Amino acid sequence: MREANEMKELSIDVPVEPPTELKPLFIPIPPEYVEDAYKKDEFLVLVGPQHPGSGHMRIIVRVDGDVIVEAIPDPGYVHRSMEKLAENRLYIQNIPLFERPAIMDNANFNLGYIRAIEEALDIEVPERAKYLRTIMAELCRIGTHLYDAAILAVFIGHTTGFMYPFAVRELICECLVKMTGARFTSSFIIPGGIRRDVDNGILNFVKKATFEIERRLKNFEKIFIKNPATIARLKDVGVLTKQEAIKYGVVGPFLRASGVEYDVRKVESYEAYDELDWEIVVADEGDGYSRFLVRVNEISQSLDIIRQAIGRIPEGDVISQDLFENVNANTKNPKDIRGAFYDVFTNLKLPLGETTTLTEAARGLLLYTIVSDGESNVPYRVRIVSPGWLYLRGFMESLKGERLADLQAIYGSFGYFPPEADR
Amino acid sequence: MDSRSIQVVRSGVLAPIKKWGTKWSLWPVHLVTACCGAELAHAFASGYDGERIGALNYGIARQTNLIIVEGAITRKMARVLRITWEQMPEPRFVIVMGACGLKGGLFWNGYHLVKPSDVVPVEYFIPGCPPTPEGLLRGIRSLQEKIWEGKNRNSIDFNKIELARKEIERRIPTPPKIIARNPFIKVDVPKDVDWAFGNRLVNELKEGLGNLVERITITGKNRICIRVNPKNLQRVAVKLKDKFDHVKSVNVIDVPYDNTFIVEYVVSSYSNRELMPVLVTIATKISKKNPKLPSLHSYWVSADYLEREMQDLFGVTFEGNPWGNRKFLLAPDTPDYPLRKDFKLEEEVYARDEATEGSKNEEQKQEQGGDKE
Repeated sequence: MREANEMKELSIDVPVEPPTELKPLFIPIPPEYVEDAYKKDEFLVLVGPQHPGSGHMRIIVRVDGDVIVEAIPDPGYVHRSMEKLAENRLYIQNIPLFERPAIMDNANFNLGYIRAIEEALDIEVPERAKYLRTIMAELCRIGTHLYDAAILAVFIGHTTGFMYPFAVRELICECLVKMTGARFTSSFIIPGGIRRDVDNGILNFVKKATFEIERRLKNFEKIFIKNPATIARLKDVGVLTKQEAIKYGVVGPFLRASGVEYDVRKVESYEAYDELDWEIVVADEGDGYSRFLVRVNEISQSLDIIRQAIGRIPEGDVISQDLFENVNANTKNPKDIRGAFYDVFTNLKLPLGETTTLTEAARGLLLYTIVSDGESNVPYRVRIVSPGWLYLRGFMESLKGERLADLQAIYGSFGYFPPEADR
Repeated sequence: MDSRSIQVVRSGVLAPIKKWGTKWSLWPVHLVTACCGAELAHAFASGYDGERIGALNYGIARQTNLIIVEGAITRKMARVLRITWEQMPEPRFVIVMGACGLKGGLFWNGYHLVKPSDVVPVEYFIPGCPPTPEGLLRGIRSLQEKIWEGKNRNSIDFNKIELARKEIERRIPTPPKIIARNPFIKVDVPKDVDWAFGNRLVNELKEGLGNLVERITITGKNRICIRVNPKNLQRVAVKLKDKFDHVKSVNVIDVPYDNTFIVEYVVSSYSNRELMPVLVTIATKISKKNPKLPSLHSYWVSADYLEREMQDLFGVTFEGNPWGNRKFLLAPDTPDYPLRKDFKLEEEVYARDEATEGSKNEEQKQEQGGDKE
């Protein structure tokens, strides 16, 4: 990696002044650090916030030649103060709020929050609703992985690799539109079930769509995944060993790419995952390419989960009967919440205490903690720890020792999505 | 070029050619500010193919002439938006997509949000949360029309209907929110669960930690809460760090009731299969007057960024954290410690009556104030 350093160096004695405009540019590092870097003949490179990828954050990279010595993140460009806003809104009003961190992954983000409410209130969700939630969560997972694959392609300058997954994503959006009515932000999952039943014709469409997605992914594999240029950019780049990944608390597919068999869907199973046959996708290398491949393999795994779920879905209610206790009999409909929504949910109150749920969102582990005081119908405190925020440390560590030109490839291989990380 | 030749290009015989060129080469710069970027990507990918109307995303601000602001602009991003806009050559345009960019959308009363129209001059707003790709492309088409014709034109004319309203007395609804004013907070409420391994684990922890801890409670299936005195926090961390190898969350809860902060570390394990689903919350109470706590960064590296975030949001100092007192997540000009309970956000007004707006608003404010007290 460092052959460049072994070559004989030419020393040119040009006095270089460290930059002084740190304060007006709001660079969050002390001037001593900058001076120290310049004294040691190293440089600081600011990557972002406006850069040719998706989502914006700044990485302050300290380079020795073109080898990265240290990477300091400057996140928060998309910090939309969700935790504070949630303390000021009804439990039910927070559902649309909490899918905004990553709108392509809305079902998983909703699911975590809703499950925390259900756990605190001990609501039993009907089987059919569990299956439908699983299908939606997996559709969103595929969609997010395809999105990240496309952004990875943009990062390494492969335009076709960007166009192709987005064409496949259109199918996912179409499935979600048919199921929920919205391409991205459906807010379809509610405490006790889902908003309304999805009929079998639509489920059939989803099943057909999974076969079409599979067929198109084969082409994508030829174009991008197995492309020698992609492999050359990603292989052996940004390696995180198993020990490092555990130490830095990396999550999700990126943890599994380093050889840790941890998937919340297996470890602490929720919804219908323990009734379906599937396996955790793991790789051992821990480099950029295996991080990408794990997600590609997860797409096929998810397609299989969707097909199984559609095959085994039972008939029945989609909204828990527990919710309708104090509701006018005319508006009671266990297959559609319309008409009874405000009666049921306005005065939702959680008992005193703290509830924490784990969810496997597409990019990894998602943690919701709801603290309730037992009197208010708004949460006292909601803590969201999103996957992006958890693997940011691992991402920064994996940059060390790599070349500056590989930064984009590593960024893409993590699928880092600032709105999700900053919340 | 001297000013005269610029005049010729702007308004002389070459003007139509220049207009035509600008119309069909609106290049948006890559400035994905928030989640609407997902729909922007769709609009320029093969499904909708924005390139066919001459718009192509490009990386560098100095060679582009259009900014599409995608959704929320935060205090930190606002500066970036301005700098990017200033870098672009004339003529330059700004389109804002999404409800957040219009009036704040879902985040309208957030502490970290600004309106893009306060930062840069905006040509068009595209409403929606998120708007569809068709909506975005229509926005670009409208801008093209504006460049060509030099003025705004409605692309759709709606039929106008005279609305007559009967005079009825309007009652402003009371807000449905019930917020307890100074509630009691307890994070380790015991719960009866059928969890044999948990009981065994709790006994094991009790033996291992001895009188370092105040109480160990099972708060649910796979959830254990350990209540610790802040003095013993580091010693407990030393004993737990071999069993539990990473931190999943650091949380602070502001409790005005007894003027304290509850600080929680949620730890778990990746290496031990049996402990994988178990979350152990180490909760400790510190005074609000002097919110200081030893950092556990040296025992769990994964707690580092989470501690920095909590320091930003609550002003709790984690002594020994390498970042020190600097702001990490928030913009430098954000008000201090926004997640403390004494930092209030603007409240929503549920109904407005234009005629008597002033007086009714005051009444309502008093009503709301009364509710709280």
